Amino acid sequence: MITVTNLSKNFLDSDNCRVDALKGVSFHVSKGEVVGIIGPSGAGKSMLLRCMAGLENPSGGEIKRASGIRIGMVFQKFNLFAHLPVLENVTLAPIKLLGMSREEAENLAMSVLRRVGMAEHAGRMPSTLSGGQQQRAAIARTLAMKPDVLLMDEPTSSLDPTMVDEVQGVVGSLAQEGMTMVIVTHEMRFASGVAGRILFMHEGCLLEEGSPEQIFENPRMPQTRAFVQRIRRLEFDISSGDFDFYDMRSQIKRFCIRCSIAEKMGEVTHVVDEMLTLISDYRNTVHIEVSHSDLKQETTVTVLQRGAEVSALDNPDADELAVMIIRGMSKSAKTEQTPDGVKTIFEI
Amino acid sequence: MTTTIKEQNGEIVAFFEGSLDTAAAQKTEKDIQPLLTADKNIVLNCEKLEYISSSGLRIILQILKAAKPRGLHVSATGMNKDILKVFTLTGFNNLLELK
Repeated sequence: MITVTNLSKNFLDSDNCRVDALKGVSFHVSKGEVVGIIGPSGAGKSMLLRCMAGLENPSGGEIKRASGIRIGMVFQKFNLFAHLPVLENVTLAPIKLLGMSREEAENLAMSVLRRVGMAEHAGRMPSTLSGGQQQRAAIARTLAMKPDVLLMDEPTSSLDPTMVDEVQGVVGSLAQEGMTMVIVTHEMRFASGVAGRILFMHEGCLLEEGSPEQIFENPRMPQTRAFVQRIRRLEFDISSGDFDFYDMRSQIKRFCIRCSIAEKMGEVTHVVDEMLTLISDYRNTVHIEVSHSDLKQETTVTVLQRGAEVSALDNPDADELAVMIIRGMSKSAKTEQTPDGVKTIFEI
Repeated sequence: MTTTIKEQNGEIVAFFEGSLDTAAAQKTEKDIQPLLTADKNIVLNCEKLEYISSSGLRIILQILKAAKPRGLHVSATGMNKDILKVFTLTGFNNLLELK
């Protein structure tokens, strides 16, 4: 349906420096295929999508679209018209651009709103909807233009984590209906669940492409491996009881939001807080590490008590309330002796 | 962390605001002293309480221990999900009425 050949895009940034956003990218999208594009920020993913949608003019190369196909685009920010109710947001383009009658457009709008589970909210104003509902309304608006290909640029990244599932569910059901889609996403689990093929982009190049299994489990390129297996970490060294717990809590909060695990923020904070309550002796520095693997969706808290032999959690005199909170907030806890001291590792 | 104690509708209401953690425990322990000698039912208003740790629970426990021999009823209102989870994990949800 779309063949991209040797596509390049460069521009001058605000300092008049040349930026090579795309460097000779080639790939093909067939009818009914769902392609996921992953890669670090600045890799050129969004630029590629914008060129495919015709929103940017490429500097070189070629994009061949099958004749007469319609391309729809869903953005990170929903871009709904704030002064119009959902129904009119969806009917606007079919009436103005496809020349449909109002009745025809409303029938169409209700059918696409039903597809994304938004029919009952047709009369509501965008500002009264949750982020997930707004994004589903935006998807319905794009579907109303009867696109043959849907391009999605990080459709869930401006959503609160609790709303990611509902949007991913809609995208998954569109995939099952056979909609051709190209989706830029940083959610690797989503990409591997919905896409039949994954492209990995790095510094403007398409570095590797393959099935989700190949890209996520057996990546060939070291850059791909580093990206998919990346584990993000947040570390603290505590050497006095007067450490700044408020700053630590706000860092944990920011970390959890960055990793899209805001729902685990409370658990992580309580485990760290109560472990520090149990330790209470900081003559030897305590090292705390919060880590998260995107691919495995695993979050761990590791507490290293330097110079100690028994974990504060296993101390027979440990405060019962603190232990109950720690046990309840973590899925598992195990201890490990290391040359530096004892490590308590919690799965959250 | 601030604690404000007011008499309302024949009850004593303690308004907790902020984070009841280890750092705030000492100050809060002083602030709740009037509750320990109260002669009216006690309401813990948690609408603006953002966080509670085991140190905070111990203060709640003090209030409960002082109220029991006096035959006073203690309830808590407006807890957020996280605080409710801490109460549930530690069984505190069974020690006082949650509204």
